[in-house]
Amino acid sequence: MSHPKSKHVVDARYMEPPEPFVQTMEMLDTLNPGEPMLLLLFREPHPLYKVLRQNGYTYETELVADGTFEILIWR
Amino acid sequence: MQALLSFDKAPPFAAPLRFFLTAPLFALVAGVLLVAVGPDMLASRWSPGLLAATHLITVGFMLQVMLGALIQILPVVAGANLNNPLAVARWLHGGLSIGTLLLAAGFLLGQPGLLGSGALLLGASVSAFLVVTGRALYGVPSTSPTIRGLKFALFGLAGAVVLGIVLALALAQGWAVPRPALTDLHAAWALGGWAGILLAAMAYVVVPMFQLTPGYPAQPSWWLPRVTLGLVLAWTLALLLDSPPAVRLAQALMALAGIAFAALTLRLQAQRRRARADATYRYWQLGLYSTIFGLFLLLTATAWPALAEWPGYSLLLGVLLLVGAFMSFIVGMLYKIVPFLAWLHLQNACGGQAPNMNRLLPETAMQRQFKAHALALALLLAALVWPEWLARPAGAALALASGWLLYNLSGAVGRYRRHLSEKVVA
Repeated sequence: MSHPKSKHVVDARYMEPPEPFVQTMEMLDTLNPGEPMLLLLFREPHPLYKVLRQNGYTYETELVADGTFEILIWR
Repeated sequence: MQALLSFDKAPPFAAPLRFFLTAPLFALVAGVLLVAVGPDMLASRWSPGLLAATHLITVGFMLQVMLGALIQILPVVAGANLNNPLAVARWLHGGLSIGTLLLAAGFLLGQPGLLGSGALLLGASVSAFLVVTGRALYGVPSTSPTIRGLKFALFGLAGAVVLGIVLALALAQGWAVPRPALTDLHAAWALGGWAGILLAAMAYVVVPMFQLTPGYPAQPSWWLPRVTLGLVLAWTLALLLDSPPAVRLAQALMALAGIAFAALTLRLQAQRRRARADATYRYWQLGLYSTIFGLFLLLTATAWPALAEWPGYSLLLGVLLLVGAFMSFIVGMLYKIVPFLAWLHLQNACGGQAPNMNRLLPETAMQRQFKAHALALALLLAALVWPEWLARPAGAALALASGWLLYNLSGAVGRYRRHLSEKVVA
């Protein structure tokens, strides 16, 4: 699945925990430096944010009209 | 990557668990009280037994679970960490439990000393909790409707507690206050400004997560906490200005906001991607329909004030909103949170070898307990019409459903502990 913000997308909106976390971590492992990925969720993943910060990642979150949080992650 | 799954700084299981295991006991005592006192308890909203039972449910059950759950989930939903959550849990749990017992005993026995000390102990405990959570949330930006809702709800809790203390001291000291109007306002702050906003803030996260529904649309989610708190403040102002039509307008708009939220949640549930109707889904359905019926009743009374004069009106509204709505939402969430936390802590302790959540708390056990709760609700509603016949059976049913809830939750905790000790032995 692709999205205007990134071609690497984890659409975790209908996944049960901890699947969104696991899949995001797996995708981050496959990215090249500077390449962003996009996580889609119906909530803000604060525990994930913390792990991202600890591992030197940057993220930017936008809440769009249908209630999806679009979280762009890169390092 | 497995190491990253470990939830560092998540509060220990013991922190929220004590609240979750104590809360059903208070609801059980409320049921036993109805059995003991009998039909007289349902004669009016001011009957001593009913005032005691109402606070056993709202403070003893609802507030216990809500504050215990907040200690657990503030880091998860807001990224806000409490300092030493286990210590906070210990004193808060003690203060709430003893305060609830004193307050309920004060109402039941008409003892001003017990009533006043219960209210002050609860006030002190909740105030201290507001200080520690306020400190944790200080500087946390409201990046989601959930965080904004949490902050507004804590403000609502403060209002509910202040009014509760004023009312309890007025009753204990014999101060002249407009008791019915202030009691309604206390309930509006407690159920609307606090519990209602908190429920919505949590629903934004847990309904899509637990029931695999679409998300709540962003704009109404941002607005609901603001509108609800604004209406509670408007109600307060209208009362200060002694304007009954303005009070009724604020009530009507609050009822409409609640109905809109419940209807939206029902629509999201209808689009869920999980085919199975699990216990949490059933509890939420019961809660949402009870909310809609209860708030339609409130709405009708604002248009037709004679309805509010009928003695059964407040009792009907109370049973629908407390046992039908809030208790149902809360038990439905407990049935997800307790097995999930048990699983998570086992997962961390056992290096990824935790048993399936359904083995920690079987679905059939939750479904059966749900039926007992629904029966208790039906009997309580019917007991308002035929108190002589049904008051005691309704009390027994509430005690049974609450005891069963405790049994189910304790069973999950027992299995968690067995797995943990097996792991340690191995």
